Amino acid sequence: MLPQVTLRDVLRAVTELLTDEFELFLAVLVLITGVFLGYGITRLLRGLMERIGVPDVVEGTPFERGINRVGLTTVGLVSRLSGLFVVAVAVVLALRLVGLFTAELFVAQLVDYLPNLFIAALVLIVGLILGDKAELATSERLRSVKLPEVTLVPTLVKFSIFYVAFLVALAQLGVMVAALLVLLGAYSFGVFFLGGLAFKDMLSSAAAGVYLLLTEPYTIGDEVGIDGRRGIVQEIDVFVTRIESDGEEHVVPNRHVFQEGIVRVRAE
Amino acid sequence: MSELSDLLGDVVEGVDALLLFSPSGSAYDRFADAELPVVVVAPENTVDATNFVELPVEFPDLRERIRFGVEGAIEQGLVEDDQQLACAAKVFGDDIDSVTRVRTSGFERSGVYNLFVNSRAEPGVIRDVLEVTIELGKKGQKGKQVGALFVVGDAGKVMNKSRPLSYNPFEKSHVHVGDPIVNVMLKEFSRLDGAFVISDSGKIVSAYRYLEPSAEGVDIPKGLGARHMAAGAITRDTNAVAIVLSESDGLVRAFQGGELILELDPEDY
Repeated sequence: MLPQVTLRDVLRAVTELLTDEFELFLAVLVLITGVFLGYGITRLLRGLMERIGVPDVVEGTPFERGINRVGLTTVGLVSRLSGLFVVAVAVVLALRLVGLFTAELFVAQLVDYLPNLFIAALVLIVGLILGDKAELATSERLRSVKLPEVTLVPTLVKFSIFYVAFLVALAQLGVMVAALLVLLGAYSFGVFFLGGLAFKDMLSSAAAGVYLLLTEPYTIGDEVGIDGRRGIVQEIDVFVTRIESDGEEHVVPNRHVFQEGIVRVRAE
Repeated sequence: MSELSDLLGDVVEGVDALLLFSPSGSAYDRFADAELPVVVVAPENTVDATNFVELPVEFPDLRERIRFGVEGAIEQGLVEDDQQLACAAKVFGDDIDSVTRVRTSGFERSGVYNLFVNSRAEPGVIRDVLEVTIELGKKGQKGKQVGALFVVGDAGKVMNKSRPLSYNPFEKSHVHVGDPIVNVMLKEFSRLDGAFVISDSGKIVSAYRYLEPSAEGVDIPKGLGARHMAAGAITRDTNAVAIVLSESDGLVRAFQGGELILELDPEDY
């Protein structure tokens, strides 16, 4: 015969749970809340990302295609990862409450590591997508340049972004990245300093050209003299001014306009 | 059915080269390895053809399209003088559905290829201005017909051979034809009198210009008005190209070197 479960028995069990085994009760509560919260965050993030158009942005990138092949999507991966992170935190918290972790220091450290791991994964995903997107954008910009070697530039941009993302992720995980940072420093020095040196004349022309375009001290059709060359202005762009006289077209860099000044010939 | 094959066979019998207009990849591949020289005429070289003539506008009129292709092929030296050409193009469908035969020597050149490729302004700029004019012709016709005159290229000289009718609305602005904003401004364009001056790179230099070229010796068809006369004259005096939308018959005409080169009906586009 089954023992009769009376209201008193239940009450006593609950009281026992709330007093002697309170920690266990709390742990279970945290665990359940964590699971629900994780699920909720997964749903919320997915909805949010779909609403702001993330699927359209990442569509067609090699990363998205790569994880599509294993049956995932970028949105699904990120939202699930976030949900999983919340659940993992809840599990750890619950286990702590029951007092399982105090002794084993190694596991405790591993657990403290969890947020770093999560952020590193997120940085890596964003970096991969950003790199692919930047490659696409640059190659689109360079489409009118009919030079086979120009395809190297978008690839370079892509791998630069990959490298930086990889570096940030590694630093987040606490790996020593000093050597890689030096490499990055040398690389950006090469690109920016030496590039700036090489493009010095163009940059100063462009700076002068911006002024010329904004204030228009002379316009198309005016007769001017620059550098001792006189003629009618045919075209002004950011880098050069084209002056034409008697079938001769002078292409004058805009920095000359600033260094030498201009003579405007007014019609009498 | 052999009569039908003979009919087509007579058309293509003994041709020296084949002009394919906007072929699909498979259509080109079929002829790519043939002994017959093949020239592709299309807006973009999607099939990686070695002999390629870029078509700046998809002329709906087959005569214009073929004329442009043949002139381009001759100018580029892809075909010789006194040759028989077969031209395959699409007229109604999405695939090539018509074949005609053209003789290069008896071919009357209108200079439509030179208008785009050998003028001072870039071909893309002339195409953009032509598109804007066609659009203006279409839009204007719904309410009231409008006229317009665009002078493209050699802007410095054009500016010195004209004078302002009013304040230049494009002063210190940097609008280029082909910018999306130009399509928005189209309706405003039709209100402005005088000519638009556009530079070699496509910058709209000025509106409200009264052109003052010497009209001596300009030979344009009778019946066209002052706007066309001004357009013809300015292109004779300078190296510019003029594109005119007629107010009376709604046609778009292009002038170069004082001569009428091209005539299009905006309604066809």
